[in-house]
Amino acid sequence: MPQTSTLLSPELLARLEKMELVSRKIFRGRMKGERRSPRKGQSVEFADFRSYVPGDDLRFVDWNTYARLEKLFLKMFLEEEDLHFYALIDASSSMEFGQPTKLRYAAQLAAALGFIGLIRSDRVKIETLDQPQREAAPVFRGRRSLWRMLDYLEGIEPGPPVSLAEGVKSFCLRNSGKGILVLLSDLMDKTGYEAALRYLVSQDLDVYVVQVLSAEELEPEIQGDLRLIDCEDDDVAEVTVSQPLMKRYKQTLAAFVESAREFCTRRGMSYLLARNQVPVEELVTGYLRTRGLVR
Amino acid sequence: MWPNLTSMLTWWQWAILAAVPPLIVLLYFLKLKRRPLEVPSTYLWHKSIEDLHVNTIWQRLRRNLLLFLQLLVIFLAMAALLRPSWQQRKLTGNRFILLIDNSASMQATDLQPSRLEDAKRKAVDLIDQMKSGDVAMVISFADSARVRQNFTDDRRLLRQAVEAIEPTVRPTSLLEALKVASGLANPGHIAEDERDLQVAEALPAKLYIFSDGRFGPVSGFSLGNLEPVFVPIGEPTAANVGIMAFNVRPSEANPELYQAFARLENFGSEEVHAEVELYRDLPAVGHPLGGGDRLINADQLTLPAGEARGVAFDLESVESGVLELRVRSGADDHLSVDDKAWTVVSPPRPIRVLLVTPGNEPLELALTTEALKEIAEVTVQAPKFLKDKQYAKKAVGGAYDLVIYDRCAPQEMPRANTLFIGRVPPRPPHGAVSGWSARPKVVGPQLLPVSTPHPLMQWIDLRDVKLAEGTPLEVPPSGSVLIDSDVGPMLVIAPREGFEDAALGFVLLDEVTGPDGKTEPYVGTNWMTRQSFPVFVLNVFDYLGGGREMLGSGGVQPGQPVVLEAPTATARLQVRSPAGREDELKGGNLGKFNFTDTEELGPYEVRCEGKTLRWLAVNLFQPAESGIRPDPQPVIKIGYVEVEGQLGWEAGRRDIWKWLLLLGLVVLLLEWYIYNRRVYL
Repeated sequence: MPQTSTLLSPELLARLEKMELVSRKIFRGRMKGERRSPRKGQSVEFADFRSYVPGDDLRFVDWNTYARLEKLFLKMFLEEEDLHFYALIDASSSMEFGQPTKLRYAAQLAAALGFIGLIRSDRVKIETLDQPQREAAPVFRGRRSLWRMLDYLEGIEPGPPVSLAEGVKSFCLRNSGKGILVLLSDLMDKTGYEAALRYLVSQDLDVYVVQVLSAEELEPEIQGDLRLIDCEDDDVAEVTVSQPLMKRYKQTLAAFVESAREFCTRRGMSYLLARNQVPVEELVTGYLRTRGLVR
Repeated sequence: MWPNLTSMLTWWQWAILAAVPPLIVLLYFLKLKRRPLEVPSTYLWHKSIEDLHVNTIWQRLRRNLLLFLQLLVIFLAMAALLRPSWQQRKLTGNRFILLIDNSASMQATDLQPSRLEDAKRKAVDLIDQMKSGDVAMVISFADSARVRQNFTDDRRLLRQAVEAIEPTVRPTSLLEALKVASGLANPGHIAEDERDLQVAEALPAKLYIFSDGRFGPVSGFSLGNLEPVFVPIGEPTAANVGIMAFNVRPSEANPELYQAFARLENFGSEEVHAEVELYRDLPAVGHPLGGGDRLINADQLTLPAGEARGVAFDLESVESGVLELRVRSGADDHLSVDDKAWTVVSPPRPIRVLLVTPGNEPLELALTTEALKEIAEVTVQAPKFLKDKQYAKKAVGGAYDLVIYDRCAPQEMPRANTLFIGRVPPRPPHGAVSGWSARPKVVGPQLLPVSTPHPLMQWIDLRDVKLAEGTPLEVPPSGSVLIDSDVGPMLVIAPREGFEDAALGFVLLDEVTGPDGKTEPYVGTNWMTRQSFPVFVLNVFDYLGGGREMLGSGGVQPGQPVVLEAPTATARLQVRSPAGREDELKGGNLGKFNFTDTEELGPYEVRCEGKTLRWLAVNLFQPAESGIRPDPQPVIKIGYVEVEGQLGWEAGRRDIWKWLLLLGLVVLLLEWYIYNRRVYL
């Protein structure tokens, strides 16, 4: 390979090559892919006959049948389609925290999943929440697009704060198609993540919500009297760190995670909590596999 | 009642302290500037503290709780520094003299643990109350006063001086203490000469007298600059039964028999049944029965309130030794030092008297009176006996207590007291000067009335005594004139090496050779026919013969000096106190020693070369000390000033600063706990 990327290690790439993205729904793709489509198409697999109506492509008329029955029938084949894989990355400045940063972790995860998609000739599209409305994100297809995709992912910079709901809405407007959507975000939106997820429900996408949280958020190691400043909106929370407060924080965090999980489960979405301390390969090859996103 | 406040700090110290609370508040504001920390999102934090914000008032209080507690601590400290206290009396003036009575009566236990301890406590309380710059001095007094601590502002020294005061068994005399106190407060009073420069400035002082007031009016003293405050010590419920007298004397009914006689007095306000026990305290050294007490008699008697009763015990045999009398009157006896008394019993030894006379019928007659027969053993010898070897041996060996030389004189003075009649003691050998000499004979000297209190001249009236002739005597050094006349001394007494010599400047009776060669009796005086003559002879026996010490009733008062005689001029004496302390007497003058260490009550054993020489009993026998019940309205009179006792006087301030500091400490601990545990209310 001419290039190397820090996002995905060669070992991981080797392991990912054997995987494929799994959709629980069968979606209609735009181009011929390697998946069956409910649409009758032009694959080699025969599906059915139907009567000719004017305007049909004469190439698909079964002349043998016409010769026998003198009726025009169209031969119908099963269509093999590609899968639309979307990765929607929350690139707000709040994702800039942690070691590795949550943003990078999200990018790694997106790269791993995207690579699986590319190998299976799926249509991979990676967007950030602050993607301008008119500026379409590039679409990657095929193994050759790997380096382009990785370059693109490397180039994602934390952008201006966009509310989760706004970002998802904008995404939905731009991408009406169906497919798999992996939302990579910390879901820390003061207006709530519920509205954003509801948009996705209406999109009939196979949605995976991966909540990326850093160790600083899960196990904050802070002490003393602090003035906590929100990096996005400069909101201030004055706290005096104490054991009861820490206990209370952890309770709140657990409740928050649990409510998100429940919200997703109720609406047929898959929820996954990703800690930035867990290596991506472990998450993809282990956890996501058991959850059925990859095979 | 509001507490009295005494500032313990100066104004600038207060200023510094007053700056502390604003500083704390300021620090609090500084502290409230929390350390900023950027976090991904405050979303969860807000949610977390939202619950804690539910009780906003509590939360606000909690936020200020530490501040509040810190301020409370500093205010408590400030309050403690103000030294709030409740007290009866304020100390005024800045010079104090503390007179603390440590006489025997102050050992009374009607106040626990004792009156003296109570007085000391009150004195210490007073010292504690002194302001800086105040000076005080401490004097303890019984029959004499002792300056325990001179004027100082060091309260620690004063406290130590007060604490060091020990009880004594002495009687009380305020005058001594007042003189000492006044010497320091009114320096002009002690200047003996008007022209003396007054070097010390007379400064007024407050005189605190801590005493039970068991002494009479003090006369002959002017307080001057002293302002007296009398703090009476003692409870009106004090009860005591004490032994006021104890001695051994011949029974009145049968002079052959001896009786131990004691007088007990009940000083309490209630009738008391007392048990009296008589012990023989055997001499510890050299006695076959060894040490230890032997109860020999006991009696019971009822003492009505305020009355005295006598008790007598017949003694079957009189042995040399010490008798101890103990009285037990139950629990309500608050003074124990007067519950025991001792008397020394010596077997009646007759006085050995040698009369050397060529013949003196009236004198010999006077020596044979009943009274003298009992106490004396008289040998009469003619002057030629003086040349006898036996005389020389006896005289030097101390075989006589008294030698009377009538119209004769020995070559050498005997080791005995002497009385010379019509002669003077001879010159000692080797040319030493005796100082005795007589002037030429004078006819018809007129005797002057007796003016000396000397024991030899007790009860003697010489107004009807006439002399025919007399040789006026020269008074030797340290001698004293007992009978004086218009021409010179007629009876002189002077000490000699532990003995005393007396000389009469006239003869009683003589023989003169008349012009016809016949010897005729010559009567030199009519004294022999006067009543005072046998009395004089008895006095001579009593005093010079040592008859006074025979029964030795032991009337030595605590602290009183005693003259002890050694058997020989070079012997040394040891004295063992009742507590067993051994004293080797030093600095004696020719066999006579001054023993002053009679601070303990009880029998003292005087020993010479390991043998018990005599006993000495020191007894209290002071009605003023034993009568411990104070007056309901105690007053002491000093000169013409009546000082009323300040009943219920308490200098002691009930300080609460310790409690305030303790509370402050508790608050501090609470603050520390809250800070560390971050207890949320």
